[in-house]
Amino acid sequence: MIRQGPILSIERLSKSYPTGFWRKPVRVLSDLSCEVHANEIVGFLGPNGAGKTTTIKILNRLAFPDAGKVTLFGGQVRDGADVRRRIGFMPEQPYFYEYLTGGEFLRLCGQLCGMSRADTESRSSELLSRVGLSGARDTAIRKYSKGMMQRLGLAQALLHDPELVILDEPMSGLDPMGRMEVRGIIRDLKAAGKTVFFSSHILSDVEALCDRVIMLHKGRKVAEGRVEELIGAETLYIELVVSPVLPADRLAAAGIPPDAGYAQGALLVLRAADNEQANRWIAGLLREGGTVLSCVPVKKGLEEIFMERVGGSDSTGATS
Amino acid sequence: MLRRIFSIAANTFRETIRNKILYAILAFALFVIGMTFFLADLSVGDFARIIADVGLASIHIFGVIMAVFLGITLVSNEVERKTIYILLSKPVRRFEFIFGKTLGLSVTLLLTTLAMATVLFLVHFSYRYGGRAEVGIFIASAGIYMELVLLTCLASLFSTFTTPVLSAIFTLSLFLVGHLTKYLYVLGDQSKVEAVRWASRFIFYLLPNLENFNWKNEVAYGGLKSFSILGWAAGYLVAYAACVLCLSCLLFARKDFK
Repeated sequence: MIRQGPILSIERLSKSYPTGFWRKPVRVLSDLSCEVHANEIVGFLGPNGAGKTTTIKILNRLAFPDAGKVTLFGGQVRDGADVRRRIGFMPEQPYFYEYLTGGEFLRLCGQLCGMSRADTESRSSELLSRVGLSGARDTAIRKYSKGMMQRLGLAQALLHDPELVILDEPMSGLDPMGRMEVRGIIRDLKAAGKTVFFSSHILSDVEALCDRVIMLHKGRKVAEGRVEELIGAETLYIELVVSPVLPADRLAAAGIPPDAGYAQGALLVLRAADNEQANRWIAGLLREGGTVLSCVPVKKGLEEIFMERVGGSDSTGATS
Repeated sequence: MLRRIFSIAANTFRETIRNKILYAILAFALFVIGMTFFLADLSVGDFARIIADVGLASIHIFGVIMAVFLGITLVSNEVERKTIYILLSKPVRRFEFIFGKTLGLSVTLLLTTLAMATVLFLVHFSYRYGGRAEVGIFIASAGIYMELVLLTCLASLFSTFTTPVLSAIFTLSLFLVGHLTKYLYVLGDQSKVEAVRWASRFIFYLLPNLENFNWKNEVAYGGLKSFSILGWAAGYLVAYAACVLCLSCLLFARKDFK
């Protein structure tokens, strides 16, 4: 099978912002390279100031790189209107014209995207209903809550049925229900053959949604890979749940040190370092009259990997 | 391209006509123009001339206030409120944004100038001592409107790269200088140094000559009856505004939004 080229390719992207006439510019992106392929959901992770929003702005021509190249659909990002028609973008905490209603704003977006009036109206109705705003179509945006603005931002990004959807912090400001709905929309986009590239601070959402993640810290890429590869690579410990809570002398007889776990109600939770130790402990526990209720290997989550990479890169300036 | 420019213009028009401060300025302007009806009674001589004189001056001053107030925030408001992020991420070129914004504001200024001119015309017409249907009021107002459009272009140029306060200072400075450039030309021509003469001419042609749009005196003295005078002024406006807008587009083309 011939693999298609990436629909988004970032090569050695660097960007600095001036901080004043006499001061040294602050570098926000350094040599960032990555790719996004068709029909992927790619998560863009990083702490505040990592350079996520700057990268997304460069992709959307809202900022220009000092060095490096961005290629969208095989052409450079500056190729303009034709490329823009294939991209949907939602900025972080989107702002709209407050004097317009949600419906009027989507009509404006449709006009700017070259859509016919009939198409705009039908797509608007469909999307407003999908994001849970059909009842607020004729309400002035100034009366919208933060969550409603976020939903409208998503609707305008999807209005012209783009192939690539770029979302900057799409879950921010949403309640749990709203987050679940946005996750559903992102999954539906993938099912419809679209590609989604989004930044987020909410690691559980990224872990649940993304095919691949790119981690950024201080403008540098610190990790990149498929989620299952990153989180499945290493087992942190093996957790044993035992009943009843055995006294210290019987634990010692089973070969388990007193600081190997803790009591949780009527249960004893133990953490074995590896399979071999877990097997030894299970044998000892059974011998001492305990019942092993569960034995689960605990893998590294995205959060642990994120903290490890972000913390580790402080001193090393590590790249992937 | 035109559709996108008109969409942005229509949205800018909608934004500006919902601006409460614009209405406050317009209401005050209409009040002052209306008051010329009584002001003329207090003057000596040609009463109707006083109405035309003070009325056109009011249209000019309040028009400049509106153009500068709205023009300086034309781009900066979009950047500050981050609404520009969504607009420019659509298939919209940056020059289309600048053209659309300027066109939208120009339509708003057209309506406000027309409203002020109509009130002045009615006041002038209904004045009991020598009032008449003075078409020149509309001709002079058209000149004022063209000046406002040029000031809007200048304000939008400044708003692409500096703060609203500095934009206002620059625009108002050019407004003042623009009415005095002919003196610069005359003074420069009297110099014996060739370089000074050339420099003064260069600056004269570089700066906007807003006196090209000023026919207030001719109207006040009843000497302006034909709309044909607008042709040359319109040509100057188009040429100068095109240069200013091109410069705005160039500066705006590579602007980073932080």
